[in-house]
Amino acid sequence: MNENKLNVTINTGTSVIQDLYERKGSTLKDEYRQATAVAFMDPRDMDKLNLKPRDKIEVKTNWGEVVIYADKSHDKPHQNMIFIPKGPWSNIVISPETYCCNVPTYKGIKGSIKKTNKPVLLLSQLIKTNYNKYDVIDTRSIEKQELPLYKKMEEEKND
Amino acid sequence: MTDSKPITDFDRIIENCACSYCGNNCDDITYLIKDNHIVGVRNACRIGASKVISDQDQRLKNPMIRNKEGILEEVSWTKAIDETVKVLKESMRPVMYGWGETSVEAIKEGLKIAMKIGAVIDNQSTICHGSTIQAFQNIGHPVLTLGETKNRADMIIYAGTNPMEDHPRHMTRYTAFPEGLFRPNGRKDRFVMTWDPRYSNTAKCSDKWVKYNHDEDYAFLTALRMAVNNHKLNKKVIAGISAEEIYKIADQMKNVECGSLYFGLGLTQTLAKQRNIDILIQLVQDLNKYTKWAMLPMRGFFNVNGFNMIMTSITGYPYGVDFARGYPRYMIGETTTIDLLNRKEPDVFMAVSTDPGIQFPGQTLKHLIDIPVIQIDTHWGPLTELADIVIPSTRIGVETCGTSYRMDSVPIYMKKIIDKPENCKSDEEIFNMILNKLGGKN
Repeated sequence: MNENKLNVTINTGTSVIQDLYERKGSTLKDEYRQATAVAFMDPRDMDKLNLKPRDKIEVKTNWGEVVIYADKSHDKPHQNMIFIPKGPWSNIVISPETYCCNVPTYKGIKGSIKKTNKPVLLLSQLIKTNYNKYDVIDTRSIEKQELPLYKKMEEEKND
Repeated sequence: MTDSKPITDFDRIIENCACSYCGNNCDDITYLIKDNHIVGVRNACRIGASKVISDQDQRLKNPMIRNKEGILEEVSWTKAIDETVKVLKESMRPVMYGWGETSVEAIKEGLKIAMKIGAVIDNQSTICHGSTIQAFQNIGHPVLTLGETKNRADMIIYAGTNPMEDHPRHMTRYTAFPEGLFRPNGRKDRFVMTWDPRYSNTAKCSDKWVKYNHDEDYAFLTALRMAVNNHKLNKKVIAGISAEEIYKIADQMKNVECGSLYFGLGLTQTLAKQRNIDILIQLVQDLNKYTKWAMLPMRGFFNVNGFNMIMTSITGYPYGVDFARGYPRYMIGETTTIDLLNRKEPDVFMAVSTDPGIQFPGQTLKHLIDIPVIQIDTHWGPLTELADIVIPSTRIGVETCGTSYRMDSVPIYMKKIIDKPENCKSDEEIFNMILNKLGGKN
């Protein structure tokens, strides 16, 4: 049966490759997006949604929705459970509820996933789309958007 | 990562440096230096090495302030510090969050600012091992040092943690693999067990993997504690594990010479939160009737423990300390960062060597849209996109020396290896400048 939506439990946590780029500090770049904006799924769940590795899925919970890649999990079968490395993409769908115990709920969030053709956003676009703190439109090409956008100091000299 | 030819083009070797990535604080790292640049790192894990040889495109090199068009613009240090002080002075409820990746010396300076302006000062414990600290306050802490595990432990348990991914050298340097005084054959002398709902990479390296159902960790730990205390389990299957299996695990744990239990966010971030750790501590206490057991949380950042140490020694509370009333207050769920932001209470948010853009839930971050955000960090990250004032700092253990506390509370001195970028200042210097501008030291 080819369903187009699947109910899942979402877990987040560290993955070595996501942490590698996070510590390296290349968060704006595609390498970080490829490593972090990804859901590791049970292959049987991927078959249900007709997904191939690196296809895009939309993850939706009570707290938000985000488009990320899907990939095959190397762990033992864990049907109806997806793992997303911690980062700006997974944060959008996790629960801020602390139950008065200071730690938000990062693990075991109920949600649903479906296949999509929408793009997986680069970090700067993701922050702009989700939070939109400043009304700045980045007119640079997509490759250039992997670099920080700021104005260099010209005449003013440092002390 | 196949192009790993040995690096021969270097002019200096510096040995025995401490790594500034995770709570392991591996102090056997060797740096290869050429022209004041680190060209190679030996002994470190992939993540530790990547942190040292970092991305230069995103390195913050000059202070920046958001201009009228909404774009960050480089400014002088005087202007950046003046603006920071102005924002802090005008604030009613500032929050100073971060501190996990800076030195103890810098934290002490930062604490003086928090006291002066009546801020809430909090660190990453608030989103990771805060529950653990609450449990330690509830029950106590059967503590160990990593050296004890290395030299004595013949059974190691990883509960809800995956060190192969987030503390890559933990098993090789301290627990499973090294040869110790009483464990001369290293891995062969030890039994490694992993409790995890996922068949994680750590589970793959273990002798036994115990899979409990997600969010049923409390049930599993309670059943195990009952089994250790020779009580009868009435159910046949608990948290997805058969009662016989639980009796077997309890028996195995009771019949070792020395056991070490390491636990992580798999227990602290699920629904039972600190109650999981409560029961885990009680389990370890019960096991001590039979043999020697101790436990340790797997702390993430290299100095997240140092912050808890310093805060506890100076203010009496480990994290989430509120100085709004002029004296330290600490109330879980009230003076902790996520709860404050969820309630939209803070009117200034300062992040020190950390990136809440990576760590905080999106709904929590939404409050940062409405308030000024000050970032003190080394690299451009998600928070920089939301920051109004950006102050470039230096890396402890690479560009600045400092002290940090390992996950088992052993202080480690971190050397300075290379010179800092020209226009960056260390966290300690930055806080000193802010403190002077705020009206003198207290």
